[in-house]
Amino acid sequence: MVQALPKRSKKEKSTKQKPSDQVIDLFKKNGWSPFPFQKKSWSAYAAGESGLIHAPTGTGKTYAAWAGPLIEWMEEHTGKQLPKRAPGLRVLWITPLRALVKDTTRSLQQLVDDLDLPWTIEERTGDTTGSIKAKQRKRFPSCLVTTPESLSLLLSYPETKDAFSDLRAVVVDEWHELLSTKRGVQTELGLARLRKWNPKLKTWGLSATLGNLEVARSALLGTEKNGQLIDGDLKKKFQVDVLIPKDMEKFPWAGHLGGKMVEQVADRIEAAGTTLVFTNVRSQTEFWYNALLDVRPDWTEQIGIHHGSIDRKERKSVEDRLREGSIRAVVCTSSLDLGVDFSPVDQVIQIGGPKGVARLLQRAGRCGHQPGAVSRVLCVPTHAFELVEYAAAREAIEERRIECREPLRAPLDLLAQHLITLALGGGFLSEDALEEVRSAWSYRDITDEEWGWVLDFIIRGGDTLRAYDQFKRVVVDADGLHRVESQIISRFHRMSIGTITSDPAIEVKFATGRRLGTVEESFISRIKPGSNFYFSGKLLTLKRVRDLTAVVTLAKRGKGVIPVWGGGKSPLSSELSRGVRQKLESADQGIFLEKEMQALQPSLTLQGSQSHLPKSNELLIERTDTREGTNWFVYPFAGRLAHEGLAALISYRMSQTEPMTLSLAFNDYGFHLCSTSEREFNEEEWRELLRPDQVVEQLLSCMNLSEMDKRQFREVARVAGLIFQGYPGAKKSNRQVQASGGLFYDVFSKYDPNNLLLTQSRREVLERQLEVTRMVDTLQRISKQRIVRQSPERLSPFGFPLWAESQRSQMSSESWGDRVKRMAMQLEKASS
Amino acid sequence: MSKRSYPLDWQGEKIELLPDRAIFWAKQNTLYIADTHFGKAATFRKAGIPVSEHTTEEDLQRLEKLVNDTQAERLVILGDFLHARAGRTEPVRTLLFHWREKFRSLAITLIRGNHDLQSGDPWPELGIECLPDPTAEPNWDLRHLPQESKCRSFLAGHIHPGYRIQGKGRDTLRCPCWVVGPTRIILPAFGSFTGLKNIRLFDKEKAYLTNGEEIHAIPSK
Repeated sequence: MVQALPKRSKKEKSTKQKPSDQVIDLFKKNGWSPFPFQKKSWSAYAAGESGLIHAPTGTGKTYAAWAGPLIEWMEEHTGKQLPKRAPGLRVLWITPLRALVKDTTRSLQQLVDDLDLPWTIEERTGDTTGSIKAKQRKRFPSCLVTTPESLSLLLSYPETKDAFSDLRAVVVDEWHELLSTKRGVQTELGLARLRKWNPKLKTWGLSATLGNLEVARSALLGTEKNGQLIDGDLKKKFQVDVLIPKDMEKFPWAGHLGGKMVEQVADRIEAAGTTLVFTNVRSQTEFWYNALLDVRPDWTEQIGIHHGSIDRKERKSVEDRLREGSIRAVVCTSSLDLGVDFSPVDQVIQIGGPKGVARLLQRAGRCGHQPGAVSRVLCVPTHAFELVEYAAAREAIEERRIECREPLRAPLDLLAQHLITLALGGGFLSEDALEEVRSAWSYRDITDEEWGWVLDFIIRGGDTLRAYDQFKRVVVDADGLHRVESQIISRFHRMSIGTITSDPAIEVKFATGRRLGTVEESFISRIKPGSNFYFSGKLLTLKRVRDLTAVVTLAKRGKGVIPVWGGGKSPLSSELSRGVRQKLESADQGIFLEKEMQALQPSLTLQGSQSHLPKSNELLIERTDTREGTNWFVYPFAGRLAHEGLAALISYRMSQTEPMTLSLAFNDYGFHLCSTSEREFNEEEWRELLRPDQVVEQLLSCMNLSEMDKRQFREVARVAGLIFQGYPGAKKSNRQVQASGGLFYDVFSKYDPNNLLLTQSRREVLERQLEVTRMVDTLQRISKQRIVRQSPERLSPFGFPLWAESQRSQMSSESWGDRVKRMAMQLEKASS
Repeated sequence: MSKRSYPLDWQGEKIELLPDRAIFWAKQNTLYIADTHFGKAATFRKAGIPVSEHTTEEDLQRLEKLVNDTQAERLVILGDFLHARAGRTEPVRTLLFHWREKFRSLAITLIRGNHDLQSGDPWPELGIECLPDPTAEPNWDLRHLPQESKCRSFLAGHIHPGYRIQGKGRDTLRCPCWVVGPTRIILPAFGSFTGLKNIRLFDKEKAYLTNGEEIHAIPSK
């Protein structure tokens, strides 16, 4: 991302040259020539335009956006001596991760130093000390590097408007990361405010390549602006290598393969300088870190572990060692996907399926940062069918067929939060604010009704609260100005700005007080004091659990269990799914081009002979009878989340035709239904079972969504300001106004069922946790496909892994009492 | 009674767990509840968090029905009657006074809990006898904070015990429960605007789960 430019001596400085030529000269002196997309960005900026620059990591996007504002300032002083004093705030640089702020500041500073400009560049995040923040409020630096949350917080102070009066540009880094999240929406709202203050403000975004760049641009620039879309893809070379397992099985299943590959992976790490080993989930990170130490015990000091549940301090020390190049390898999750320029990294290993093209591209881009260098990623399957994914991903990368990321539609929790921010930051008039909010892409079609509801919610607390006059979060004065009067509410609000919800988690600590990170309560409650578990790469013995803290010591010897964290397992993306289906179609025609496909040939051929290899326009349904009963296997290749919903939906529809109990299982390729009923479904009946209408209605009646809703409501309640979380990591304060999201969910469902936050949370469950849109799309695709029904005598290679995963979830329509009894029996059985 | 109670032999006495999160001891005509947290919603409203007083109304209706159904002569509240000083507001006071009017002869005892210490004793006109934690009575002690070390058998509150039962896959269910051991019982929180804390059972302890209608026993592991 950063091109190293040695410091120029002051003598060389020429004041007569045009500023843009000066920048170009500077590049040339260092043996670089600006890329055409960089020059294009600079001239677009000079013309007062906004835009989105997209390119894979490590191609010079930063300077494409950064030089423009510098040249602009130099132009303003053409023919004059450049001032010695730093200008006030001219550029706001927003980055999604606090961890990126320092590196970004450093690389922005470099160009300023090289050009010998007096600009000051400072950081402002949740980590910035109060005294520095206060100093900044008196005099802002020329460029402020910050996060979406910190920008929101600034907007809550009335004096910010004046301080920002000379702001020329906002640059949003890694926009693709923010785009489809609430933090992205928060950024949109912040930008809408800044543009309202200064309509000439130029907005620039930096993004990785996406399937829907126009939408990404619109979301960034808002509804009133058109801007440039600048392609910075220098057709960088990516190479996807795959470690093919030595003995391939015909009946692969999930999870057991990885361990066999450890030795080979260790060899590869040994042969390279610094390696990043990416896994898909945190528990896999713990597994691989320990597995590597098992085969290379002398690596204790040489390899590190990094994931989202490990304490920030520990993570930072690993990041620092990466930067210095003093670490051999780091085993990590997506926590290290982003930005930070770890230049010494020269090998990237991906454990398990990539699940998405963009993700693999992003990870591969972590190495080979030098322009012209090849970014290589070595893929290690944990499940033989992942070989197909690698082959498909490689092709998609070459053709740059990347996934889309959709912005969220009008989250009302965030709007409530933002309106209170505006009320604090000088107050707002309803009509003006509505116009401003509608200029943000996500809220472009927010209805008057929704707007009215949110206003009512922050002024009177919603429908059920009209009777109580103590509630005064926002007050409206005679002129219609909405303001916050209460000091307590101001303080609470400023402390709660943001959208990141930390799950209620158990903190893991040594008796000395050293923090290691967090695990989930459900995990720790299954561990008896005195037993061991792996965490943060260490084998620990649990001493005791008190409140929300687990005190541990280092275990002397023995084995332990690995924690599992909920969520985070991404489904196979639609892009990759399409690629996988094409590869299977080729296999059906006897084409096995890639060595991954060749390695799978025996298994796929068996699938073809025993059952069928589905073509792109076919849906394969298998029926196999086993001891457990009748097994149906359906393979839509729509990713695990959509399959979970589809399995529930189809089993519901089946049980409508005749009462039957079905057990369900699913993976990224398909789903499995098992029943003791012998009923057969002919093609017409299958068509009926798979019809694309009534999906949401039926899901609601067959899935127990309320538990999911409750969990999702936690986030909504937190963002809307119902749950006061306090500073992350800080001890809980204000205990008397602590309540869980689940409790609010129960109370609102009962007494305020029309609360739109409930509707929003339901929508988030349907979309994020069940991918309903994808389910419907899949069913629509199926309605145009040929259905191929097969009845293999024994489980097919496709069916086997599903069968092995079966019994994971179960339809339950019994009464509460029976359900509890059944579960209690399971508990007893498991404990005996 | 329409809801099914759960009879227990405990400390040589016959007591009943009631699905409305109470314990009834027929011999002494005493009803035990814990952690009502009245005024919690009002406390939240003062902090700008919109919660209506409906939970209080409903909790009082539930308590009214319990007293009527059991014909209890004495009500023991095992701590945390009022949530916070900030919650001592007019709507809460009115609801409580109105409720008390209906049961003039009912004797009410409150064991002061940690929240009561902050919010102060209830309005004197409510006629609630306030006693320290613990208070010894002939058969067992009355406590707010459950004691872990050896002591005389007791009834307590404070924890708001809850239990999550895990079915297959995502099928889980979380309910309030009683923790019943040989020498202690921890009651579920009576207030409906209160949370749950997942508990860990000690040896020989059982959790009794309730959904407000029925009660089911979960043995210790």
